[in-house]
Amino acid sequence: MTKPKSKARKKPSIRKVVKKKVVKKPSGRLRFLFNRYSLLGLIAFVLFFSSYLFYLNIQITEKMSGRIWSLPSHVYARPLELYQGKHITVKQLISELKQTEFIRVQNRPIKPGQFRVLNESHFEIISRNFTYWDGEQKSQGIRLSIYDNKISILHELYSDKTLPIFRMEPVKFAGIYPSTKEERQLIKLDEVPDDLVLALLAVEDRRFYEHWGVDPRSIVRAMLANLMAGGTVQGGSTLTQQLVKNLFLSPERTLSRKINEALMAILLEISYDKSVILETYINEVYLGQNGAQQIHGFELASQYYFANSLRKLRRDQMALLVGLVKGPSWYEPRKHPERAKARRDQVLKLMHERGALSQAQLNKYKSLELGLAKKPRFSANRFPALVDLVKRQLKRDYNEDDLKSSGLKIFTSIDPFIQSQAEASVKRVISRLEKSYNQAENLQTSLIVASSQQGEIQAMVSDRKPSFPGFNRSLDAVRQIGSLIKPAIYLTALQQPQRYTLASQLDDSPLRIKTSKDKLWSPQNYDKKFSGDILLFEALNKSRNVPTVRLGLDIGLPDISDTLHNLGVKREIPAYPSMTLGAFSLSPFDVANMYQTFAASGFNVPLKVIREVLNKDGQPLKRYPLESEKTIDEKSIYLVNHVLHQVTQTGTAKSLANLFPQSLAGKTGTTDDLRDSWFAGFSDNQLAVAWIGRDDNASMGLTGSSGALRLWSDLFSHIKVDSLEMIPPTGVNNVWIDAESGGLSNKNCLGAVELPFIQGSEPTEKAECKSVGIIDQIKRFFK
Amino acid sequence: MPNKQLLFLLLSLFLFTACTPQLLVDKPSAGVLPVADSAQLPDVIKSLISQSDKQYLNNDFAGALATLERAVRINPRYAEVWSRMAQVYLKQGKLEQARQHAKRSNSVIKNNDSLRKFNNKIIRPGSSEASSVIQKEQMH
Repeated sequence: MTKPKSKARKKPSIRKVVKKKVVKKPSGRLRFLFNRYSLLGLIAFVLFFSSYLFYLNIQITEKMSGRIWSLPSHVYARPLELYQGKHITVKQLISELKQTEFIRVQNRPIKPGQFRVLNESHFEIISRNFTYWDGEQKSQGIRLSIYDNKISILHELYSDKTLPIFRMEPVKFAGIYPSTKEERQLIKLDEVPDDLVLALLAVEDRRFYEHWGVDPRSIVRAMLANLMAGGTVQGGSTLTQQLVKNLFLSPERTLSRKINEALMAILLEISYDKSVILETYINEVYLGQNGAQQIHGFELASQYYFANSLRKLRRDQMALLVGLVKGPSWYEPRKHPERAKARRDQVLKLMHERGALSQAQLNKYKSLELGLAKKPRFSANRFPALVDLVKRQLKRDYNEDDLKSSGLKIFTSIDPFIQSQAEASVKRVISRLEKSYNQAENLQTSLIVASSQQGEIQAMVSDRKPSFPGFNRSLDAVRQIGSLIKPAIYLTALQQPQRYTLASQLDDSPLRIKTSKDKLWSPQNYDKKFSGDILLFEALNKSRNVPTVRLGLDIGLPDISDTLHNLGVKREIPAYPSMTLGAFSLSPFDVANMYQTFAASGFNVPLKVIREVLNKDGQPLKRYPLESEKTIDEKSIYLVNHVLHQVTQTGTAKSLANLFPQSLAGKTGTTDDLRDSWFAGFSDNQLAVAWIGRDDNASMGLTGSSGALRLWSDLFSHIKVDSLEMIPPTGVNNVWIDAESGGLSNKNCLGAVELPFIQGSEPTEKAECKSVGIIDQIKRFFK
Repeated sequence: MPNKQLLFLLLSLFLFTACTPQLLVDKPSAGVLPVADSAQLPDVIKSLISQSDKQYLNNDFAGALATLERAVRINPRYAEVWSRMAQVYLKQGKLEQARQHAKRSNSVIKNNDSLRKFNNKIIRPGSSEASSVIQKEQMH
C-alpha cells in the first residue's frame, strides 16, 4: 500500500506536471522579476548603505583628527634662573614651585617634582626632566639657601659641589589650539590617574575593552533593569557611543539617531585604537557649566571644581568627577552637595567592588567632605592679554602650516611673579582711585612691563579685571598720548647740539598759530600760566606745553616724526602743530616700544614675548633672538634721560623721589579734558607703561601724576627695581650752569645746576655768581 | 744673525701669545676669538660664557647666542657678553647684527680699552677683521 503511494509521489501525473507547469510559468517570471528587483534593490541598498557608512566615516575621521591631532600648544613662562646673588624671596620661590606643580614634602625629597623647605630659608628640590630649546635638562637635586631675599648658597643636593646656575622648569600657563584659537586643558591618557580610569570604566562601561563599540549584553541588561524599575534607570550605551553622541550627534532621542550612534561607534572602533577613544572621551565629556563656558574634560573639571590638576586629586575627588558624568547639572556639587556626595559614594562603592579600595579606605573616603575649591582655577585664562599677544606673534611669524602643526612648546619671557604683582596693583589702584575721585568712574587700564635692556615683555594687564578675556587695551586701545611725546621733541632738538642744549633758553609766552583751516590755535600750559623765558631742561622737566610747541615747530614736524620712528613707533605720525602736544594716538604697546629705546640708551629693541618654539617632538623650530639696533645717538639720548630722571626728582613725577631710593626716569602724560592718564618710566632693569582712562573716552578727572603714575609706582614698589645707572657716554661732560640764565656757573653759586653737555656745546658766557649761603651749602651737601 | 732671527721669532711668538684673548674652555680656537676679562665676572656669567664657548666651538652658533642671552638677562651690563654675541654673529656672517652688538658692548664698557678696540674692529665699516671672517665663511 505504501509503495504505490510513494511511487505516485515520486512520479507525478502528466496532468499534474502540466498543471504545475501552467501554474509555475507566471510564478517563475515573478520570481525572476522578484529576484532581479531584489538583487537590484540589494545592490542599491548595499551601495546606499556603503555610501552612508563612507559618509559617516568621513565625518568621524574629520572630527576625530581635529580632536586628536590638534594637540594644544603649551605656552610657558620664562624659566626661573637660580644662582648665587639672585634676588628672590622664600614666598616667591615656593609660589613658583607650586605653579610648576612641584609637591612640597616634609621629609627629604626623593622623587623628581618634590621639594622641601627647612627653617623657611633652605630649600631641597629635585627637578624633573625638561626639554628646553637648547636640549634636555635631566632631573637634578639641588639645595639652596635664601638669606636677606637673595640666594646665598646653591649646591647639588647630595654633595657640597657648588652650582653656578640652575634653570627651573618654567610655569605652563596656557594651552592654545593654533588652528581654532580655543583654550583647553587636554590630558594625555598616560597622565590620567589609573584610579580615575578604573572608576570611569566601572561606572560607565565595564566591558569597554571587550566590545566593538556597541555592547548587546549591556543593552539587554539595561532593558531588563529598566523594565523591572518601570522607567529609565540604566543606560546601555558604551563609552564609545557616548563619545559619538557628544562629538557628532544632537541630544534628541530618536530611533534614527540611535542607529547612527551605533553605526558610528562601530566605525570609530574599527578606525581607532581603544586608548585613543578613551583619551578623547576623557577630554571631551561634559562635566559642568561655568556661566557661559562649558566644562569639557576631566582636567578642566578638576581645575573648575577643585582648583587642582587631575594628577593631584584624592580618590574621593576623582570619584565625584566620575559621578558627574551621569548628570552634571543634577549632581552639580556646589548647588546640590547632598546629591553629589551620595553619587560620589556610589562611585566609591563601585571602586571598592572592583578592588581599587579596601573597606577601610572606602569608609575613610565616604566620611570626607566634597573638598571643593571656593574659586575655580583655569590656567587657560590666567593671563588672557598675554596669551592674546603670544597668539598674535605666532600668527605674524608663522605660516599657516606651522600654525596647524600640533603640540608646539612656546617659551616666553613672561614672569609669573611680576604678572601677579601687576594684576594686584591694577585691582588695588583702580579701586582706590575710584573711591578718591568723584569723576573717576568706570575706569579702564593697561599696564605693560618689560625688561628695559632686552625688550622682553614680562607682564601685561589689559583690563581692570585682569583675567577678563575681552578687549586687549594694551595692544588695541589707541589713545592720544599727550605729553609722552615731549621727550621725542627735545631729543630731536638735542641731536643738533650746535643749536640746542639743555641750557638753551625757550620762550614760554602766549602763542597763536594759524592752522591749515584758517583757524587760530593758542596752546596753553597745564597751569594756564606763562613763565616767560625758561631753560630747555626745565621746560621738559615741568612739562611746559607752550615752549614745547615753539621748539617743535622750530625743529620741524618731519624731523620729530623721524625721531619717533627711530624710537620704535611704527604708526604713521600726523604732521600738524598739535602733534607736538601729543594730539595723536598710540597704543600702550607702542608707547612701551618708544620708551624702551630711551631705557636702552638709544638701542631700539622691538618688544617681544616669545623666545623660542619647539615642535611636538621637542625639536627646535624657531628662535626669536634679541634684536638690538642703535637708532639714536647715545649722547643726545643721555641728555634727555638726565632730564627724565629729574622729572622723578623735581618734575611732574617728583612723588617718586619720596617713595624710591633708586634712581628712576619717566614721563607723565595727560590729554585734553583729562581723558587719558599716562606714565611711562624705567629703572635700570624694568620698563613699565601705565594708562588709565575710560572706554567711552569721557573725561575721568585724572592727570598722569594723579592716575597712571600711582599705578606705576604701586607696581614698582612690589617688584625688584635696580637703580638707573647714569654713566655719561664718551663725549658728554657735566657742567655747572645758572638755572635762570643758562650761563656758566659753579657749584658754589646760588641757583647753579649741573647739566650734561655734548662736548663742544657747553655754554661759554659766564653767569653772575651769587654765593650760596651756609644753610644752602649744608642742604646741598645732604642732597 | 741667526741669534737675532731666533730672538725675533721668539719675540713674535711671545707677542702673538700675549695678544690672543683666551676662551673660557680649554680648546683650540676657531675663527675669531671671544674676549673675556673673566676675573671681573661673577661665576654665573663665567659659567654661561664657558657654556656658550663650547657651543661656539661645536659650531652650534644659535645655541651659543641663546646661552649668551641668558647671561644678558641676568645682567645686561657686562660688555664682554655683548661682545661675544657680536663675535658669534660675525662667525655666522651676519655683519650688521655683529656691528650692533659690538656697539651695545661699547655702550656698557667700563675701563676696558682692549675690548673697546676689539669691538671697534667689528664696528668700523669695511673692517678687515670682519670682512676676512665673512670671506672665510663664504669660501666654506
